[in-house]
Amino acid sequence: MKKIILAAFLLTALPALAERLQIVTTYPYIASITEQIGQERVRVHALAGGQWDPHTILPKPSFIAKLRRADLLIINGAQLEIGWLPPLMNQANNPRIAVGSKGLLDLSRFVQLMDVPTSVSRAHGDIHPDGNPHYYLDPVNIPLLAKAIMDKLIELDATGAGYYRKNHAAFIQAWNEQLTVWDKKMAKLKGITVIEYHKNLDYFLARYEIKLMDTVEMLPGIPPTSKHIAALEEKIAGCKVCYILQDIYNPDEASRHLATKFNIPMVKMPHDVGSVPGAEGIFALFEEIIRRITHD
Amino acid sequence: MIDILLSAFALSLVLLSINSYFGLEIIRRGIIFTDLAIGQMAALGAAISLFFLEGSYLYPISLFFSLLAGLIIALISQRSKNVEAFIGLMYAFGFAGVYILLSKSYHGMETFQKLMAADILFTPIGEIIKTAILYAVLGVILFVFQKRARGVFKDMLFFITFSITVTSAVKLAGVLVLFALLVAPALIALSIKRGIPLINAWIIGTLINLFSIAVSYRFDFPTGYTVVFFNALAALIVTVCVRNGKMPVKA
Repeated sequence: MKKIILAAFLLTALPALAERLQIVTTYPYIASITEQIGQERVRVHALAGGQWDPHTILPKPSFIAKLRRADLLIINGAQLEIGWLPPLMNQANNPRIAVGSKGLLDLSRFVQLMDVPTSVSRAHGDIHPDGNPHYYLDPVNIPLLAKAIMDKLIELDATGAGYYRKNHAAFIQAWNEQLTVWDKKMAKLKGITVIEYHKNLDYFLARYEIKLMDTVEMLPGIPPTSKHIAALEEKIAGCKVCYILQDIYNPDEASRHLATKFNIPMVKMPHDVGSVPGAEGIFALFEEIIRRITHD
Repeated sequence: MIDILLSAFALSLVLLSINSYFGLEIIRRGIIFTDLAIGQMAALGAAISLFFLEGSYLYPISLFFSLLAGLIIALISQRSKNVEAFIGLMYAFGFAGVYILLSKSYHGMETFQKLMAADILFTPIGEIIKTAILYAVLGVILFVFQKRARGVFKDMLFFITFSITVTSAVKLAGVLVLFALLVAPALIALSIKRGIPLINAWIIGTLINLFSIAVSYRFDFPTGYTVVFFNALAALIVTVCVRNGKMPVKA
């Protein structure tokens, strides 16, 4: 009881803090974009750490506290959070960010998703019926997300509309400038063939016309079988593979084995803001991805 | 926030209540890993339901597998000295079976983990009350029949009630939290000379859980793992510090 009184006192005593729009994002990359647009008018917390496997996030008590305070929850969507967010939302029980309320923003609705199954039948299982959820690793998609976030901030905080528009315009301009630099750097990789461990970078590869031969894992969370590795080895022997792209959270023994056997460089690729040193912020994330794949 | 922590604490107490009894008993019988083996067989049942029946009859099938495992262990413990080796193998069998099945299933590991590994932060209060009622019924059955039953029937009664408990507890709290609550308070209680071990286990377990949940909130640690950590740590310290030879093993 004492704690509740104290908390109530603190809340009323610190109106400056309470006035900012409280935003929770599931992943750090969303927080980074949101901070660029909301800046001084918002307070943004990302639940997951960038170095974690985005599919399975270990929940902590503070997650629920943050969700309870939130005015807006921004999620990646396309089922990337399906394994960990729903029970947290249930426990937080915050009507402002409940499913169907205007305080919940699902970014996957604003982009074109890849690998959407034509028919969701039980035969193909229920993995990612919405398509591949790692769409944000295509740099061209980032402005679409920024626009969606700006629109939502204006909807919830109309008095800041001008401020959000100005920040958004500045962000888009800076992004487009970087994009031309990145496009130039990536041009030399056009048409090469790569293998990746998990289907993390599909959107990025498609954007820069890099061919994906196969993935090392067959199903998420299951180590590749010997048969699959043997089939991969046969494929690799038959054509020139330039890189094996490995994420930072899955075991890399299988990729390492293939890399050594065929003398192909294995590159550890960041998948989110904060996943590797040097990838702090949305610009730095793409900077780092491109630096690693182009050996700059 | 308080309500979330209270429900986690309530759950830890409900789990502690009946599992302290089982914990004392499995330490006395020297079959510590029975709960892991039974829990893993329940998981195998869940995987079979996912793979062959697209997830229908999941709970009955996993309960059937855990009961089967419990009964087999009961029979083996009657006639073999190497029960612990048998139990260990059963665990390995269940674990490998789950992986083999899921490697061919498009539901994959994610769906499976979602089903099996709960976190004590998320259990709705309704589930906790249901479990409390189930454990109370099992407790009464044990209290009434355990003293009258003899020989293999006594063992079967023990393993059937234990299997039902494990299946529900693993679903609520995960296999690691269950293991810690089962063994740690019981082990500490057995090193105390005064009082009744079961009552001591309850008191000790309650204090450790209260402390763990407070720490998990204060330092923002994952709640389930914090409960496991401090229960195990307390039991390790007490066991190392108790000098007087072998500990009394009496439930």
